[in-house]
Amino acid sequence: MLCEKCKIREANIRYTEVIGGVKTEHNLCSHCAREMDFGHYSAVFDTDYPIGKLLADLFGLDSDTKESEELAMNQVVCPTCHTAYSDFVKNSRFGCPDCYRVFDLLMSENIKKVQGNDTHTGKRPLYSHGMAETKEEDGREKLERSIELLSSRLKEAVQEEEYEAAARYRDEIRELKERLNEYA
Amino acid sequence: MSMLKWYQDTENQHDVFLASRIRLVRNLEHYPFPEKLSEEDSKELVGKLENGLQGIGEADGRSFLTVPLSSLDGVEKDALRERRAINGAGAEKKGSQSLLLSEDEAVSITLAGEDHLRIQCMSGRAELGKLWEEAGRLDDYVNERFDYAFHEKYGYLTAYPTNVGTGLRAAVTLHLPMLSAGKQFTKLVNEISRFGVTVRGIYGEGNENFGALYEVSNQKTLGVTEEEIIALVKQMADRLAASERKIKSLTLRNHRLDMEDEVYKSYGVLRYAKKLSLKEAMTYLSQVRAGEMEGLVQFKEPVNIYGLMMEIQPANMQCIAPEEDKNDLKKARASYIRKCLPELV
Repeated sequence: MLCEKCKIREANIRYTEVIGGVKTEHNLCSHCAREMDFGHYSAVFDTDYPIGKLLADLFGLDSDTKESEELAMNQVVCPTCHTAYSDFVKNSRFGCPDCYRVFDLLMSENIKKVQGNDTHTGKRPLYSHGMAETKEEDGREKLERSIELLSSRLKEAVQEEEYEAAARYRDEIRELKERLNEYA
Repeated sequence: MSMLKWYQDTENQHDVFLASRIRLVRNLEHYPFPEKLSEEDSKELVGKLENGLQGIGEADGRSFLTVPLSSLDGVEKDALRERRAINGAGAEKKGSQSLLLSEDEAVSITLAGEDHLRIQCMSGRAELGKLWEEAGRLDDYVNERFDYAFHEKYGYLTAYPTNVGTGLRAAVTLHLPMLSAGKQFTKLVNEISRFGVTVRGIYGEGNENFGALYEVSNQKTLGVTEEEIIALVKQMADRLAASERKIKSLTLRNHRLDMEDEVYKSYGVLRYAKKLSLKEAMTYLSQVRAGEMEGLVQFKEPVNIYGLMMEIQPANMQCIAPEEDKNDLKKARASYIRKCLPELV
């Protein structure tokens, strides 16, 4: 859901107001929320209050590995236009069509959040004059597609609590990613 | 005699519906999006597109002119933005960029704006379906000549993830003077946005809306078909229009004299004022339009007030104003409205 105030950023704060027994709900992004007056709760937005960190601790996640994972994600760079994943996060903007393939795994959840869906069902191009793709790209795309497939299976397995299968998928994905890195 | 612009059409001017708009975003394969293109590559891309699309007028049946946006000055670009031929980003962009504009200004194709192509069809009537067909034909015409960046899962790829998939924005412009004056309006807009559409004021400054013009458009572009998007926007626009009509007929029944009084006062100011600010002009034109719609006043000749509202925006006024009035837009605006607003029957 988009922030109801700026309608640009993703809403990540839900604010429930009860005035005279009437309950209204607001969905805001942290940027707009900071500008609103929440009385003494405003302090939460003034400082970099590490809510995310707090939650991560609660769920028993090791915040160090999480941070290093984040760091690694931000360093993913599109080989075609040199847009880094951190640039994409900052500007909500892709640099070239290839960015979608490169950042697919990292941002597919975000796209789903913004759009409510992640699979196109509408019109398709009538014409494609098809330029012959190089073999290298072919191989890379195949790898990327397999990783995509395995990741969705991994997610399913975790949801179904089939941890053995999940571990197998995880290892396979790791191996494919290593091979993918050789292309970069 | 030049062809009438789409916003000068004087038929069907008695409705809440002011305009329909279909916009498609498309990008070519093997080119970074415009923001990542060097000025040189950008220029090359624009040239390639302009060349390839030379015959678009023949395909469409209207003649097109090529507007080299990068060589226009700020006011001229702003004027195009106010007439909605280009968007805000197009008006602000400094580098290479071009516009293919049909002579009635109903079709505008921006080349190398935020995306490689922004195909837009507009009309002064409630006809999203027809515009989608038109835009679809232009889309196919382009696609016949250039390969699009298309992804099996994500559909048409765009610079912003908020456009990906169909790349379609379907929008209807409504005149809601009664509804928007009511206390419940914000609540209604919030309610409606829950269904996946955005309602926003078109002209105004800051939080103020001038002239009660609102545009209803889809929020989502991925995972829904073009037909579904259009049906949704149409349904929500119809709902708002119905509420407007209902409130209007209630007001007419209970406060007819008050409404007449407002309409005639507004007309009087527009007719005789020597200076008009944008806010004044928009407010009074909105009142007069509402009055005319209800038959409270009748013009001797037909007029498109929405078109007039566009022409009195600052940048357009700057272009239209005679040389001696360029420094006094309020004066220029008042005399332009005096000239364009017909007498009453």
